Amino acid sequence: MRRLTWGNAYLLIVFIILYTPIVYLLVYSFNSGGTMHHFQGFTLEWYKEVFQDTRLLMIVLNTLIVALLSALISTVLGVIGALAIYYVKSRQVKNTLLTFNNVLIVSPDVIIGASFLILFTLAGIKLGFVSVLLSHIAFSVPIVVLMVLPKLQEMSPTWIDAARDLGANEWHILTKVILPFITPGIFAGFFMALTYSLDDFAVTFFVTGNGFSTLSVEIYSRARQGISLSINALSTLLFLLTIFLVAGYYWISQKGSRLYGMWKK
Amino acid sequence: MRKLVQSFIAVLLLSLLLLYVSNRLNEAEGYAGDNTLIVYNWGDYIDSELITMFEKQTGLKVIYQTFDSNEAMMAKIAQGGTTFDVAVPSEYAVSKMKEEGLLLPLDHKKLPNLKYIDPRFLNLSFDPNNRYSVPYFWGTVGIVYNRDMLGGKKITSWNDLWDKDLRNQILLVDGAREVMGMALNSLHYSLNDTNKAHLEEAKRKLDALTPNVKAIVGDEIKMLIANEEAAVGVVWSGDAAEMIAENDKLDYVVPKEGSNLWFDNMVIPKTAKNIDGAHQFINFMLDPKHAAQNAEYVGYSTPNKKALEYLPKEIVDDKRFYPDFDSIEHLEVYENLGKRMLAYYNELFLEFKMHRK
Repeated sequence: MRRLTWGNAYLLIVFIILYTPIVYLLVYSFNSGGTMHHFQGFTLEWYKEVFQDTRLLMIVLNTLIVALLSALISTVLGVIGALAIYYVKSRQVKNTLLTFNNVLIVSPDVIIGASFLILFTLAGIKLGFVSVLLSHIAFSVPIVVLMVLPKLQEMSPTWIDAARDLGANEWHILTKVILPFITPGIFAGFFMALTYSLDDFAVTFFVTGNGFSTLSVEIYSRARQGISLSINALSTLLFLLTIFLVAGYYWISQKGSRLYGMWKK
Repeated sequence: MRKLVQSFIAVLLLSLLLLYVSNRLNEAEGYAGDNTLIVYNWGDYIDSELITMFEKQTGLKVIYQTFDSNEAMMAKIAQGGTTFDVAVPSEYAVSKMKEEGLLLPLDHKKLPNLKYIDPRFLNLSFDPNNRYSVPYFWGTVGIVYNRDMLGGKKITSWNDLWDKDLRNQILLVDGAREVMGMALNSLHYSLNDTNKAHLEEAKRKLDALTPNVKAIVGDEIKMLIANEEAAVGVVWSGDAAEMIAENDKLDYVVPKEGSNLWFDNMVIPKTAKNIDGAHQFINFMLDPKHAAQNAEYVGYSTPNKKALEYLPKEIVDDKRFYPDFDSIEHLEVYENLGKRMLAYYNELFLEFKMHRK
């Protein structure tokens, strides 16, 4: 066995620091005592509570729907945006467009949320599913652009010339050359948008209403009344789901590259 | 390209499926359609069993949403976009909302249970003849303290908080009027004082309190004090009652210099869609049995005279939470100070919050 080096020890400590709070939360979701101190005994009562709470389950569903739809739509919009920026000839215009894109990423969520609230009220859009979805799409698009653009720039322009020489029209160039090349960037953008939407609190907080709520906002408002351990149980379930998703994504990408390797041979 | 299109369709199908499931769930729960009633209340301010009971009795579905300050609630209602049917503002917020035309008048014919309310709590200055509001709970602002952690020392006045022994031991509730009112009262001024010199003096006095203040917090103050994270808290009486129920080393006192007497009231905001349902809900909450059950759960004092008969004797006889009326005569009700003065209160409070220790 290899000796434990300083590097490994450092890594271990960092992981312990990162995972301790999660494990703490996880362990106490089984506490029959009802508080986050003094572990009194094992119980599944809090999990039962989560599954009996239809409102909570509906909120989980809402959160997933908003995340999936907003990630999907913003991926489409973001890819189109990235292509547009890529095709711009003038360097100055390109930089200006990119700056506008980046400003949206670095500007505080609170400001984006407040401005959306004002906009939706002026436009007469009822706060709820639609307002949350629209705002999530809006803050996800710049992220997708940023994930896709480097892939486009990585691509050698000679490929496009070659395709043209072989008689490809613009549609063929897009679907047969560009999109396949930037596919990894598109997927990365989709997953980034998905996670941003899943855990966004600040923007969502402003634009929820009429009984529609997402998980982060709901947990916040419940936590204010003193933490019930059903929140722990729910967080544990979500944590397991995330691990499952990450593992699934890893497995698919592994399998994908293996197939790709086989095909190449 | 094919991979992209396939993934796109897969995600789309998945979200449509989820949307379908959620819609079915919505329908099964009855949340769809006009059958709903949106109640906008303070966090943890109702016994949720009563909501279930109300739903069973009327067939309406209650969507319960919460706010943490009168100001936040008024902003959401004034801004529109959400159809709240019932809201629960404090008395100064009622008069402000009335002024701004945010309330609908109540139909007293639909509220027969109003007769159970103690006449002392009806027809108050902020809403003559209860045209727009009916009282929900009432209480005081005071000091909750842990006898053991203070070594048996007793607190009776606001000025006791400035004691050097209490270093880093006090939690304050995050409300401009409450904290400024405390400072004004400790200087024997009225907590509705609009004299700027008095207010500045109060602010300076608050700055002197900072070494003793551990934190300024919201609803979590209940958990923190009950878990003995701090020895002293400035809180509303009902929160104190809940803390005492959890930790019997705690005691509550209304300081002798005077303090705030407040009423929370049920109103129907102008955003209401289900006005008939809102009346039904208010009348349901005014029923003595329901009011008693709610008071027992929430811990605040109910204005419902008949409900007192259904409450355990030790609650009704507790002078800390159901004081005689002559002993609270020196307490003051918040007056609506107007926008500019309120902004000044908020500004001073913000300066105090940012004051370095």
